[in-house]
Formats: sequence, structure tokens, C-alpha cells
Amino acid sequence: MTRAVVLSMIVIAALGVAGASLADRDRTAWSPVVYPLQRLPLVFSHAKHLARGAGCADCHPAATTSRSAVDNLIPTEAACRACHAIDRAQPALVVLGAPPVACRTCHPGYAPGVPVAQVYLPPPPLKFDHSAHRAPCATCHGDLRAVDLATTEQLPTMATCLACHRDGGDERHCADCHVAKRGGLLETQFEHGALVPAHDGLGDAHGADFKNRHAQEARQVGATCAACHDRSECVACHQGVVKPLEFHPANYLLTHAVEARRGKPDCTACHRTQSFCVGCHEREGIGTRGDTQYNAVDPARAFHPPGWASTSGGRNLHAGEARRNLTSCTSCHRETDCLACHSAQPGGPRASPHPAGWRSSARCKALDRGNRRMCLRCHIAQSELGCDWSAAR
Amino acid sequence: MLRAWVAAVVVAVLALAAPVAHAYEFWLRMQTTGQAYQLRDYRLVGPDVFLGRRRYTQTLALRIWDVGDLAAARREAHLPERGLRIGWQSYLRIDHDFGDYTSGQIKLPAVSVRRDALDVIPELGDSVASLELLYGYVELAGLVDDRLTIQIGRVLTDDGWGTRGLDGGAARFELPSVPVAVTATAGFAVRASSPLGLAAYELDGTSGAACQEYVEGPAPGTGSWQLIDRNRVITNSRLTSDYESCPQRDVRQPSVGVGLATSRIRGFGAELGYRRTWSSTVGLIGPVDRFAYPDVGLYPNDAGQAPSSGVDEERLWARVHGELRAGAATIAPYADVRYSLLHALVDRADAGLRLSRGDHTLEPSIEYFYPTFDGDSIFNAFSIDPTTDLRLGYQRSGAVAIRASGWLRIYHHEDGAAPVAGGGDAGIDHPFGAAWRAQVDALWDAGYGGRRIGGSAQLRWRPAPELAVQGRVITLGVAPDDGGTATSARPRYVTSSTVLGATWQVSDGVALHTLLEVDDDAIHDLQYRAIATFDFAFIPEP
Repeated sequence: MTRAVVLSMIVIAALGVAGASLADRDRTAWSPVVYPLQRLPLVFSHAKHLARGAGCADCHPAATTSRSAVDNLIPTEAACRACHAIDRAQPALVVLGAPPVACRTCHPGYAPGVPVAQVYLPPPPLKFDHSAHRAPCATCHGDLRAVDLATTEQLPTMATCLACHRDGGDERHCADCHVAKRGGLLETQFEHGALVPAHDGLGDAHGADFKNRHAQEARQVGATCAACHDRSECVACHQGVVKPLEFHPANYLLTHAVEARRGKPDCTACHRTQSFCVGCHEREGIGTRGDTQYNAVDPARAFHPPGWASTSGGRNLHAGEARRNLTSCTSCHRETDCLACHSAQPGGPRASPHPAGWRSSARCKALDRGNRRMCLRCHIAQSELGCDWSAAR
Repeated sequence: MLRAWVAAVVVAVLALAAPVAHAYEFWLRMQTTGQAYQLRDYRLVGPDVFLGRRRYTQTLALRIWDVGDLAAARREAHLPERGLRIGWQSYLRIDHDFGDYTSGQIKLPAVSVRRDALDVIPELGDSVASLELLYGYVELAGLVDDRLTIQIGRVLTDDGWGTRGLDGGAARFELPSVPVAVTATAGFAVRASSPLGLAAYELDGTSGAACQEYVEGPAPGTGSWQLIDRNRVITNSRLTSDYESCPQRDVRQPSVGVGLATSRIRGFGAELGYRRTWSSTVGLIGPVDRFAYPDVGLYPNDAGQAPSSGVDEERLWARVHGELRAGAATIAPYADVRYSLLHALVDRADAGLRLSRGDHTLEPSIEYFYPTFDGDSIFNAFSIDPTTDLRLGYQRSGAVAIRASGWLRIYHHEDGAAPVAGGGDAGIDHPFGAAWRAQVDALWDAGYGGRRIGGSAQLRWRPAPELAVQGRVITLGVAPDDGGTATSARPRYVTSSTVLGATWQVSDGVALHTLLEVDDDAIHDLQYRAIATFDFAFIPEP
């Protein structure tokens, strides 16, 4: 089974590396929060204008000097007048051989006396300096030679930016483009929505149940969590003092025993068994000390069944349970409870907890080499210490 | 009168001599939480007794940004911040329980007087007037052409399976020629005994109570373990345990770590890390030999074999993740593994694939877990059997969110008998108009540990932007499987709970959360829990 597990992990890891090497980093989604809904009640053809030799800056001169994403770079009627001899007094005027000037040409449904539908173009909540970018316009806005009315789809996505700004994949650089609030965290709450990572790649998706299952996203290399979230949000929950009701719903104090015995979910991700669990169990009368009515000596009041921890044969059930999920045991028992029988000190039962072949195992040697204090809790005699002695065990 | 004049002159001089004050941009979030709830004190005879918990918790998260306005010029010019930036981040917490859970007294069988619960159970000290700094550090960013970041103070370090505090520093350096960053941490591990420390950062496996020392006998091997400080005068402090001392848990634990990680690569990430934490061995307990026989230390020294120091953790970990785009679908595989050099084994590993297409995500994964403990803990000798989890999860995002998952846990056993546990859960979250949302969840699991089946229904109402109300009803049937670990079979029961909560956003960034929970089951009486939190700098959820 262990071999199968290791093999599965190797296969999946290999897929990961292969996937990365083939990764297509194109992102085609335009965030409705970064680019709020526009209203463009206009008729316009970039294709026709470009075909006639117009340059981008002819109509968008401010784009070469703009330093803020808030700047409105859409040409006004005045800019159009450079070529289109618009006469508001003659809204239906047609001049043969000249660029069209009738109001309906650009404003569909125009009718005299009726207010013209307004262009609504909310600025994106971004920081952007057009003047600092020397690349051709098409690099970010695409080829407009086949585009009539430019919409949000002609605005760059985050992937467009990251094609050059590779730092943008690092959370420390998110605020280079996104608006930060006091303290340096990104502003995520806007009138038109909340800024949440939109794409479906690892580390960015805030899908359903994300609050309960985000371990993989949080531990991945280059996770961008801290760009928006203060670290106090993490420790307030993981090292918390208020029960998170979404994770430990309702009567969890009663029902948690099932999950704790299983060891799933991993209680130790947030709780230290030898302080948090032991302290509470002791106080509630379930531990080995405190005001408990349980008594291991009295069979009528024993928490565990007879023969649970037998030194003279019998079922000795606790051994298997301890090997299987020791963290469950350690939520009530301290080391001293185990030492009562398992210590190698003279006078005690000297029940060895070690499996066969322990002294020749790599684990024994590593533990002994790393911290012999642990061994000294049970073994005192020099002859019993160390894993390199030849005595059979 | 003369004294007043002198004072006035001194104040005036100080005011004139004071440098120009700078106001720096800062962000803070302060939460004041009051909780009142009950815990059962289990009785074999007679009805259960309820212990009251009345907790007051005050937190303060603080960020000060660009101290010295070093990046102000670029910021005002709408340019990305570069160059040295100095900042501060911290999170401070006061937690105090003044209910009888901590302040009550306990009658012990062999002691004639009732003792403070805190003296009998020192672990309760975590809940009594604890003042904790969970992190607090100065950050110097943008050094060396924006490649070096340094944090100094109480920093956080994480290997992917847990966060610990470190009193010291951390540095990250981006190598100039390759997309790799080097990280390093060094300092002393935060312990419960550290200034403003907390037990939650301690390595697990050794208790803060029942510490004993080995007292040598007249001949080697004839000594015994005895409680430390058993003869000292009891000071009867109400805030700390008076009876027990654990000097090995008070020594400092130096900790160092290094890591190599990919940087500035999208669609792929990999990391290799190493961390080692150790501590010196407690020698004499106190400056004076208090015993008639040689008192040479905390550990058996009959043959002089106590080491001068021991390793508490030594781990090596690696992780890799990637992302592959195949048409409209995305495949995101990942794998993580941690090897404990102290135990000479892999103690954590997982791998999975996240397959996404549009709003749909499917994720099969496998996880491996081998319990390991603090290097000082004898639990390391007892923990032998690992577990393997197989999991399949599905999510549908969007306005109507759906999720479902199934899992199977295999408990390996050296004799081949491998019990299993497994289960599944599913839920749907559906909006109704602009103001209402409903969520329904169902759960079933069985196998090792017991069987549970149940579900919950939740209704959320937002009548106004500044007010949100929610109610939830949960019912769960439980059939515990103690596997013969308890004297009497645990009874089956059905528990139901009703939760009512509300959030009122008083003004921009200020909110009040309240919650009332009532639990009912066939075994016990009604239980109540009430929570109220005043949330300053409240962040509305999306």
C-alpha cells in the first residue's frame, strides 16, 4: 500500500512538472470588477479609421501623456470635428464626398429634442501610467484593424500585463497596478463588486467552501494571499479563541469525538493536543487528574474496558489504538501516564513499546542521535542507551 | 507656585525643541469579543455539571506603511513602489476567561482542601489573562535593487503544515540571474514561556504540566522521577499554576531555516525547505543543590549520559505545483512532501489534480500522514501506524454554488489489519432575489470512529446594505464507534442546534456581530452559547 501511495504521488508530481512546462498562461477573462460594465451607445469603426491612415494618437492624444487610469481617453466631439464637420444646427446634414457629419452616424437612434444617450465609462480601479509605456498600442489593446466599436475586450487583461511584468506574479507587486488602501493591502470592496481572484488556477480561486478548504492554495509557492489579507485573518482563525462556526458547527463539543478519534480533519493544524485538548478534558472530568469520577483502578468506574492496558497478557487493546492514532490518546494523556508502565526503570513493568527490530532501525538511530533526552525518559542504564549495541532485542 | 512655573517652562521648551511630527499611513483592525457558553463536567453519577466560560478577548492588528515616507515620491507619481520601504505589522491579543472553567476550584481525592483549577490543571493558564503577541515585526523591503526583504521581530514561519512564531528575523533574497528566491529564518522559537508567548506555537507532544526530574539514588539506576519544586512555598497566584514547574519547557529553542523557491514564474512553482529547532538540556534546577544526594540535572545522570542539547524538530520539505491549459479546461497538479530527519521518515505528503472547466472543478487527491511529535516527547516511540486519505471533491462556482466531496481514510497497521473510515458531504447555496440566500448541506460518514448522518439548512437575509441576518438549523445523528476503547458502549444520539446571528454595520468600517446558539441532544440538557463582537475596521465579505 505504501508503495502504491508513493507511486501515486510520483505520478501526480510528474504530471505537475509536465503540466507546468506546457502551461498556457493565456487568461481571457475580463474582470467585471476591474472593468465595470460600460455603456457605449455609439456607432464607430476603428477598422475604417485605421484603414484611412488615422493613427491612435490622432484621436487619443492624451494617451501618450496620461499617468492615471482615471483619465478619460475617449475622444470627445471636438476631436471628431477635426475631420467631421459636425454642425449641431443641422443634425441630419449629409455632405457628399466628405466624412459623415449627421448625428445619427455616431449616435444611433438620435432624434431631435430627445437627449442623446450618454456614454458611461467608469474608470477601472487600477494604477496605470500610459506615458511610461513605450510599447505600440496594439501590444496591450490588440489589433483593432478588424474591430469596429472598441469595448472592454480591447482592454488588456492581467495576463497581458504579466507578459512583460513578471513580478506581477508575486504578491509584493500586486499593488503596483491594483489600488491599495491604508496599510498596503489591496482595496477589494467596490461599489460594483468585490475584487476576488477570478481565474481558476491554483491559489487564485475563491470558490464555494473555500474557507474550509484552502490549505493547498495557501501553501503553494508564490501564493498571493497576503496581497489582500492581513496575516491576522489567518492567525485569528488558526490560533483562534472564538470557535469558527462554519468549521465547527453548532454542538461540536459533543460531536467532535468522532472526528478527533479518526484524526480527520487534522485537529493539530490549529490545536495543540498537549495543552488545548488536555486542559479542557481534564477540566471536564475526562482526563487522568482533576475532578474526575473515572478511576482506572476501579473496574466499575474505569474509562477504558478491562484489559485495556494489561501488563500480564490479555487483550491489551490500547496498544493498537495508540499505534493507530496516538494524537487521540494525547488529547487526554500526558507522557507520564505512558511512563508508568513503559519506562525501563527498575521496579516497573518495563513494557517495551518498541516494535520488532527497533534498535536496528533507522528511526531509532535518528531519534537517538537527534535527541537522547527522549530516550532518557525511560532508559537509564548506559547499556540500554543507543541503537548501535549488539544485544538482541 | 514656583513649581508650576518651572513645569510650564519645561513644557514650553520641550514643545519648541520637539522635531516635526510625521503622520504615517496605518491600518488597524480591532475586535472586542465577549463570549458566554457552557461546557459539561462529565459525571458518572448524577446529572452533568455545567462549567461556565465567560471570555473577554481583545485583538489589535496593526500595519504601519512606509515609515519615513521613503516611497512617497514614487507613490505620488503613480509609479510602482521601489527602493527601501519600512513597515510594521503586528497582532496583539488579550484573552481572559473569568468563568468557573478557569476560576473554579477542584476537590482532589487525596487533598483535604479544594485547589484552584489552574493549580491542578496548569494548561488552563492559556485561557487566564493571557497577553499574546502572535506576530510583530519591522519589515525592510526593497533593499538591494528591490531583491532583498528583511523582517525583524516576532516573525512567522511556515512549512506548509503549520505556522510557528520565531523571535528573530527572516530574509528573502531574489537571485539576480535565475528565477529563484532564497529565504532564511533564524531566532528563538516562540514558546508559552516566551515574553508575550503562547502555547499554540509550541511543538506538540510534551505537556506544560506534570514535569518531573530524575533524582539520583545511592547507586546508579536506583533513582526515581519526582515532581520538581515540591518543597517550594506556594504563593497562591490566581493567574498562574502554583504547584508545578517545567524548566525544560522554559529554555530557549534556537531555530534556523533556509529555503529555495521559484520566483516570478507563472504557472509553475517549486520549493525546497529545511528547518531545525533545538534546545539545551536543563542542568541544575536552581542554583542550589536542594537535596542530600547529588542533584545534577533534569534527566537521569547516573552514568553522566545526559546530552548537552537535543533536537526538537528537523525537517526537510519540498513542494511543486503547476498549471496546464487544455482548451477551455485547466489542469493544476500539485504535490507536497515533508521528511523528518529527526524521525528518519516521511511524515506528511499529499498530491492532487485540480481539473477546472468553466464553473466546474473536480479535484482528486491523496494524502499521507505519519504522526510525529516534539523531539523531547516519548510519544515518538509509540506512534507507528500512518494513514492514507483518498479524496474526490467537486465544486460548481457561480451564483448557485454547489459542492460535493467524498473521502476514504485507510489506517495502516503493522499486522495488516487496516480499518477504514469514509464519507461524503454535499451542499448547495442558492440566491433568491437580491436580499435572500439559502444554503442546504448534507453529511454522511462511517467507519473507524463512528457514523454520522445529518444536515443543515441556512437562510441569510440582507434587508439593507448595513444589516445581515442569518439563521441555521443543524441536525446530526451520531453513532460513536469506540472500537472497544470504552468501558460501556457510547450511546447513539441525535443532536440539533439552532443558530441565529446578525451583523450590523454601524458605519463605514465599524460593525457589530451577534450570535446565539442553542444545542439540544438526547443525552444532555440544553446548552447555550452567546457571542458578541465589536469589529472596528470591519471588512464586508464579498
